[in-house]
Amino acid sequence: MSDSLPEEVALQTETDIVVVRKSVREAAIRLGFGITDVTRIITAASELARNVFLYAGSGVVRCRVVNQSDQVGLELIVEDHGPGITDIDQAMQPGYTTGKGLGLGLPGAKRLMDEMEIESEAGKGTKITVKKWRKKT
Amino acid sequence: MAEETLSIIKVRDVLVVTMPADPDDATISALQQKVLLAMERSPAKGVVLDVSAVESLDSFFARTIAETTRMVGLMGGHTILTGMRPSVAITITQLGLTLGKMRTALTVDRAFDILRDGSQPVQKP
Repeated sequence: MSDSLPEEVALQTETDIVVVRKSVREAAIRLGFGITDVTRIITAASELARNVFLYAGSGVVRCRVVNQSDQVGLELIVEDHGPGITDIDQAMQPGYTTGKGLGLGLPGAKRLMDEMEIESEAGKGTKITVKKWRKKT
Repeated sequence: MAEETLSIIKVRDVLVVTMPADPDDATISALQQKVLLAMERSPAKGVVLDVSAVESLDSFFARTIAETTRMVGLMGGHTILTGMRPSVAITITQLGLTLGKMRTALTVDRAFDILRDGSQPVQKP
């Protein structure tokens, strides 16, 4: 199943955010998520992809299927080699932003997904992994 | 990639703006300019922003809609957002977006009723 997923989308320009949304949408539908979860996943992907574009300039989004006992999930890994996040706790506060955003991207994406993990090092870049689970039928 | 087009038509004294399903940022940004220019060219008392085709609204898209509404307001017009899908309403609420005091209606038809009757209560966030 994971072979059929669009594996990697390079984020170079603003229009690539649309490409990310389309690929993620396709993957989520193929995995059998309902329309509300599909919308949540697309929206979270869009927020994370825009962050890459806004703060790092470029990056990559990878998408794969993950399995866990009686659940199947969609995992998105959003990675860049930008400035990194110096204070992750602060970045997770709704309304906090260092740029021109609304400050909803990271905390919002976390609420829309089931799991979120942030690895970041100042000056090196940021890797954000999010997952959404669905019961196997 | 082809830019998805934004349709603006004038129906009586109302501008009906139909948003494409999955617009890129440039299309979303162009929305503001196009709507405000259309307001000036064809004196309209209101704008109906129809998002019934929109599959997902992220914070950038939502902020642009809220800003455009304020700008239309400065020009003396009312904006009503119509046709939001249930999945989009659920998602943007969980994302933490409020869209301010934006007026909404289920359909374009109902938006016309509101604009015709004039003083409808403002929807509280």
